[in-house]
Amino acid sequence: MQKVPDKKGYFGQFGGKFIPETLSVCLEELEGAYRKALKSKKFKADLDYLLKDYAGRPTALYYAPNLSKFLGMKVYLKREDLLHTGAHKINNSLGQILLAKFMGKERIIAETGAGQHGVSVATVARLFGLDCDVYMGSEDIERQKMNVFRMKVLGARVIPVESGSKTLKDACNDAIRDWVTNVKNTYYLIGSVVGPHPYPLIVRDFQSVIGKETKRQILKKEKKLPDYLVACVGGGSNSIGLFHPFFDDRKVKFIGVEAAGYGFKKANAASLIEGEVGVLHGAKSYVLQDKFGQIKNAHSVAPGLDYPAVGPEHAFYKSIKRASYVGVEDKEAIEGFNLLSQLEGVIPALESAHAIFYLKKLAKKAKGKMAVVCLSGRGDKDLEIVQAHTKKR
Amino acid sequence: MRIQDKFEQLKKKRKKAFIAYVPFGYPSCSHTKDILLTLQEAGVDIIELGIPFSDPLADGPIIQDATSLALKHGANPDKLFSLLEDLKGSLRIPLVIMTYYNPLLHYGMERFFSKMKKVNISGLMVVDLPIEESKLYTKCAAKYDLETVFFITPTTGLARAKKIAKASKGFIYYVSVTGITGPKDLGYAALKKDIRKLKEISRLPICVGFGIHTPKQVDQILKISDGAIVGSGIVKFIADHFRQDRFLPRFKNFVSSLCIK
Ligand SMILES: Cc1ncc(COP(=O)(O)O)c(C=O)c1O
Repeated sequence: MQKVPDKKGYFGQFGGKFIPETLSVCLEELEGAYRKALKSKKFKADLDYLLKDYAGRPTALYYAPNLSKFLGMKVYLKREDLLHTGAHKINNSLGQILLAKFMGKERIIAETGAGQHGVSVATVARLFGLDCDVYMGSEDIERQKMNVFRMKVLGARVIPVESGSKTLKDACNDAIRDWVTNVKNTYYLIGSVVGPHPYPLIVRDFQSVIGKETKRQILKKEKKLPDYLVACVGGGSNSIGLFHPFFDDRKVKFIGVEAAGYGFKKANAASLIEGEVGVLHGAKSYVLQDKFGQIKNAHSVAPGLDYPAVGPEHAFYKSIKRASYVGVEDKEAIEGFNLLSQLEGVIPALESAHAIFYLKKLAKKAKGKMAVVCLSGRGDKDLEIVQAHTKKR
Repeated sequence: MRIQDKFEQLKKKRKKAFIAYVPFGYPSCSHTKDILLTLQEAGVDIIELGIPFSDPLADGPIIQDATSLALKHGANPDKLFSLLEDLKGSLRIPLVIMTYYNPLLHYGMERFFSKMKKVNISGLMVVDLPIEESKLYTKCAAKYDLETVFFITPTTGLARAKKIAKASKGFIYYVSVTGITGPKDLGYAALKKDIRKLKEISRLPICVGFGIHTPKQVDQILKISDGAIVGSGIVKFIADHFRQDRFLPRFKNFVSSLCIK
């Protein structure tokens, strides 16, 4: 297996560090600290302990009997929705907060879209007694009120972002501006496999626990590997976390499900499918942009997928054809949301509902095959959105 | 005119450089023409012209608002090149482009550089292109005889600063503060020390930018460096006055008052 990223943070031709000079030093510092942390037995033991007793790992790999019957294929759900705070984001937040502690930082900043990452950061910041500021687009604040309140209860300051599309992309911009200004004492706890090197590497490593557990669990249950791994792709962390440990298992097909929003050629967030190679937030990857390289505003009903770029490792997977990427529209995602709720009594996050819906399409050509889907989060946060959609119709 | 030649000219006159930043297309593309000529009349030595970008993550609110309006009014590099084509001959001071990487990458580096050369732009700086990503860029710029300005900041270590100085042409842009653009108070003592250290590793002129917005600050900065760059201060003046009568003469007075040296 080709080891990616390389020393300069490249996954093939994607990744790198495209950042203002002020940040160069802290990225070097972060890389050094991460290397040291990897070698530290204590770091690993602390993280394992927290993942287990605080976050609730391992998560179940649940065989979904009703959904399987409905689809005519064997479906397992990797239940990241059962984790503390309700999504896979906590895997990464626990890892990075230990790193921040390790580096002696006093203050944590983060960006959030759905608020899931923000909640998980606010949570771990409380646990470790660190100050926490979370940047969130004002449109997302409106869409995810419960998570905003959760962050506040947890003692974080939620800073509304009014620029641009007022969603995740703009929250990232403001988080980076804060970071450039306060580099000395502040740790930027990024929420997905995006950003400049070494973030895509660090987040991938912390999320790989999803795929490692899945592999162990499926081998125990089925004595063989699945035919498909399916996960939604926003920045790409739950999907890379699931895929990465299976990279060398060439027979296992990876399917990343992007948000097709209102549809292709309309407003969407399908960066890998409709984007072009570009640089946003420090990394070279696929980016939704116009003919002058201005970044387009993304759109998805799922705030966690509403981002016009994608992690560089996915761009790499696409370029070597290790994974395929498909799009699911807003209304289909809502259908997926209802489908899982009604068949299995499990309410998925709207992000994960994109992956669930795609199974319906997959089942048409993969009858009898086995798929593991990453159920990246639970849907409580999305009830209002779905309610509004249902009323509209 | 090359930046290098401008600094030699200034040196002979025992003068320091006053550099003004304005975003292209702000408040509209037609304003830019008058603004550039007015800056020249006001005694500005070098103009730094920004390519507006949708996600200017090194900029504070003043420049964010300005560039977002410029984009709304349809500013793009093609319009910039055609405007500068019209200004050939009348604009005699060096022009440096300031851009984020994506608009350049997307336009195509070779294509962008060859057009820059055609309209007599002297050089450029790319905010989010650090030295380790810039090999191809510096090579390509050299091919078109464009001067590549790089940034050094208070967080840059000496070994790294040496590498940056080596790749720099025209001048070195010393960022006065760890932070984004916008009016700030400055610590002259620390700046003086930092600049002195840089002088030991490079012969290039060192110009200071970020935060400078008053005549007093310009004066102080010019005492310890080779040039002062004012961005947000000028953009804010434009924002506050462009709708008013006699905007251009007042703009000229304002800029002259900043760059009396
Ligand atoms: C539940 C859930 N799933 C998925 C995502 C998308 O992120 P990623 O692609 O990094 O997993 C988010 C982001 O907020 C989320 O909250």
